Amino acid sequence: MKRNSLSTLIEGALMVGIATALSFVKIFQAPYGGSVTLGSMVPILLYSLRNGAAKGILAGASYGLLQLIIEPYIVHPVQVILDYPLAFGLLGLSGLFNKKVWTGITVGILGRFFSHFLSGVIFFGSYAPEGMNAAVYSALYNGAYLLPELVLSLLAVRFVFYRFIKMDEERNYLS
Amino acid sequence: MREITIGQYIPGNSVIHRLDPRTKILITFAFMVLLFVIDDFAGYAFPLIFIAAASLLSGISIKYMLRGLRPLLIIILLTFVLNLFMIKGRVIYEVGPLSITYEGLYQGTFMVLRLVLLIVGTSLLTLTTSPISLTDGIESLLKPFSKVGVPAHELAMMMTIALRFIPTLMEETDKIMKAQMARGADFSSGNIVKRAQSLVPLLVPLFISAFRRADDLAMAMESRCYRGGENRTRMKTLKMTREDLFAFVATGIFAAGCLASRFLW
Repeated sequence: MKRNSLSTLIEGALMVGIATALSFVKIFQAPYGGSVTLGSMVPILLYSLRNGAAKGILAGASYGLLQLIIEPYIVHPVQVILDYPLAFGLLGLSGLFNKKVWTGITVGILGRFFSHFLSGVIFFGSYAPEGMNAAVYSALYNGAYLLPELVLSLLAVRFVFYRFIKMDEERNYLS
Repeated sequence: MREITIGQYIPGNSVIHRLDPRTKILITFAFMVLLFVIDDFAGYAFPLIFIAAASLLSGISIKYMLRGLRPLLIIILLTFVLNLFMIKGRVIYEVGPLSITYEGLYQGTFMVLRLVLLIVGTSLLTLTTSPISLTDGIESLLKPFSKVGVPAHELAMMMTIALRFIPTLMEETDKIMKAQMARGADFSSGNIVKRAQSLVPLLVPLFISAFRRADDLAMAMESRCYRGGENRTRMKTLKMTREDLFAFVATGIFAAGCLASRFLW
């Protein structure tokens, strides 16, 4: 039985909810604001892998906006867009690759990293003195707390995904 | 059930609390952009007065507003130190190879002030507006863009449902974590591969129950004839009042002040 679009949408909403709930469980709090959470990106990534990029981007963007409402770190008008709706929306790109798990997750996560990186460049560009290499600082700053989280999510999605497919099959079989 | 508060909202019934969320979002955005227009210390008088007035009207103490600075303290310090040491000019003090210049001190203080005003000013939005009404505001502001394909209603609907279920899902996460820990699961040690593996017994049950809930919820919504955003009415409609008009006028005066400080003086 093919599930209708409303229930896919609601499922996305609950994935956003799980992601937010997981984002409160911080397993490592970096001294400068960033933190490694208990795989809070995993629900969004899995959802995109299963339902395609369009739905994934929608779920990612609403997760980003929710983060903005709940725990805002606002330092620049453009940074708000780049760090929240866009960065998390780009996670949805992982749905582009029709269940090629590794490629999908890597692209999604790189998308998020790129958005944060760009926002960092803008931040350092407008607050730091001229002559500083904004790109290098931004890459270092974002890499420091994002990388561990990225690797963790990459592995977790990989581990969970196949059980997920099996679950889907069982559910379709049941319904 | 234990009440879990999400977000930073402090309930109240002040003028600022009562303002339409759209008004507050738009004003906050204008405030952010205008801060970047100001280019000397005298200009900061305007945002200072603006924030002080808003804070007095909202009844939220400065202490709460300053609390938002704590997580960004390192960024603020970094900004100050970078400017302090890296700008060339008249030397005030030398420490080894580093020298503090007059210009660096000026620029550093200027940047830090901008950052602090920005953080404190924007925190007023989340302090005085509940997440749900912020979501309603976002939906209504994005509506014009739905013509070019932005799914404003779906976005807001997802956020609203997520907000409703976050406390439930947090409780569930907590329960599953404890249950698995009682069976010997370890979420906080080992290398990164181990940690990712340890997430599996947490995520799988969480997802399964979310799937069930999603199906039930979708069925419940459909049996109540939910058909998406078109022609949908609301229990609480957003309405602009005279207070909103006053807020926009005040922001207009503030904007004029900022622009004047940059281009006239």
